[in-house]
Amino acid sequence: MSDETQTMDERIADLRAREEKARAMGGRERLARRDAAGVLNARSRIDTFLDPDTFVETGLLGVSSVVPEDRATTPADGKVAGFGKVAGRRVGVVSNDFTVKGASSSLTNMKKIGHVKRVATERGFPLVFFGESSGARMPDNRGARGMGTLLGNDPQQYVRHRETPWASAVLGQCFGSSAWYSCLADFTVMRKGAVFAVASPALVSLAIGQKVEPEELGGWKLHAETTGLVDRVTDTDEEALAEIRRFLSFMPSNSAEAPPRADVPAGSEDRAGRITNILPDNRRRSYDVRKIVDCLVDTESFFEFKPRFGRTLVTGLARIDGRVVGILANNPMMKAGAMDVAGCEKATRFLVMCDSFNIPLVLLVDTPGFVIGIDGEKAKAPGKIMNFMTALQMCTVPKLAVIMRKSYGQAYLNMGGGRNSDDVVAWPSAEVSFMDPTYAVEVVTWGKDASAAEKEAIRDRMEQENSAYGLAEIFAVQAVIRPQETRRYLATQLEIHEMRPSGGKGKRLLAAWPTTY
Amino acid sequence: MATISVTSEVTASVWKIEKKAGDPVAQDEIIMILESMKMEIPVMAPEAGTLSAVLVSEGESVEEEQELCKVET
Repeated sequence: MSDETQTMDERIADLRAREEKARAMGGRERLARRDAAGVLNARSRIDTFLDPDTFVETGLLGVSSVVPEDRATTPADGKVAGFGKVAGRRVGVVSNDFTVKGASSSLTNMKKIGHVKRVATERGFPLVFFGESSGARMPDNRGARGMGTLLGNDPQQYVRHRETPWASAVLGQCFGSSAWYSCLADFTVMRKGAVFAVASPALVSLAIGQKVEPEELGGWKLHAETTGLVDRVTDTDEEALAEIRRFLSFMPSNSAEAPPRADVPAGSEDRAGRITNILPDNRRRSYDVRKIVDCLVDTESFFEFKPRFGRTLVTGLARIDGRVVGILANNPMMKAGAMDVAGCEKATRFLVMCDSFNIPLVLLVDTPGFVIGIDGEKAKAPGKIMNFMTALQMCTVPKLAVIMRKSYGQAYLNMGGGRNSDDVVAWPSAEVSFMDPTYAVEVVTWGKDASAAEKEAIRDRMEQENSAYGLAEIFAVQAVIRPQETRRYLATQLEIHEMRPSGGKGKRLLAAWPTTY
Repeated sequence: MATISVTSEVTASVWKIEKKAGDPVAQDEIIMILESMKMEIPVMAPEAGTLSAVLVSEGESVEEEQELCKVET
């Protein structure tokens, strides 16, 4: 029958059949298996994640354009992509369909991802990846011609200028592009049981001749505690998607906008007075700084990044008086608050993200200095300290520092001391000097056979000289404030330091900085 | 009734044990104090209840995630 005899209705019926076939993904059996395991599929992830009925798919009818026999078995070419809304704001989404050739990458799906990326970047809205892929598809990428045809065609593929926020969820095996995008994203959440690595355990076992366990190679614990490549961990797909929605709620749609302001929840002023119950009078006594953060920020607004990595520092987004802030706080609970290499790495990445998205910084200081020792030096401590320092100095978003207790040595600078913040204040409990008296006393009495009483006297004198009033007198802090006043003080300073001439936008000098430290 | 396992958040040594098994504890009340890098790290009851077991002794070194005591609510 020639085409001229087909009616439009018949053509539409044919279209519907093709669309249904594409939406069926890898077939009922494979989908049922995932369902039984409590794991969402590519399309149910999108439906769960986006506001209802907002998904506009792009490339539904794409199939393999490399292997003719694969055309019938590659619905949507294994990756579902398109546009939708999250809390009423536009986002782009790429969802890997593991039921179709392991969601492996090939020409058509790479064009799709490129398209969604370009549109999201140029039109100014976030991009979200649901990672679960076996990597490059074979035989498509095989041999010199395969490689030459499929890879390296986009010279900007792995460049981030952080024009818009990117978020990635590691929801299964992530090797290849799923792993790369998880590194490039501003926020990465991982579901327990998923694996995130350069190559699969099977391949690695082959290469090294020993069996490698998936969890050991790229499991959640490794990434949450050792590599720091993942910001948060969840038990289920649904929770991971909810975490991304929460992350996006703090972010502007693009870097030309200020972050969205929210209403102030009831009870936000109630905890400001509790700080004095948390901060010990005894300077040797530690505490969990997150309890102080909770007193300062709007009710339950603190969203911690990397809670199990670089624990000597706490980083996270929050709101004060409805305004988004990035919190960077020393945690005396860990290593007495001394900053280690992992802490510096975490801080650097966090500063880059906040500054690139116009999020003001609040630094809460209580640190005896940087961790010293051979392990740190082997991990390039001086270089990591400098990355952190350079990043802070290059931030052009408002930087507000509060010296709560200790602030010694170079750490005084890394945590916003002097002109490394736009406004710095101290609590009456603050102590600032070149070195913690505990060690400074030993240094000055070295080889001098000083008695315990003499050392005590030296220490007392040092403690006097280290008080916040020494800073206040020379305007090296703008004020000494009561802990209970800190929330109000920060709220006011955030308003004073609003970047009015640029409509809330910083200079974003870190926008092209690396994504891993 | 539930038994909460209280674990150490840090590698440290046990400096002072302030309570004994059978003592009632309020939420956030200090059960013991660890020491690390010349800092005192308080270990507090996560919820109100009874301290049902103390599993470490003064002077002992403890690892991160090691169970220190149990609180029954």
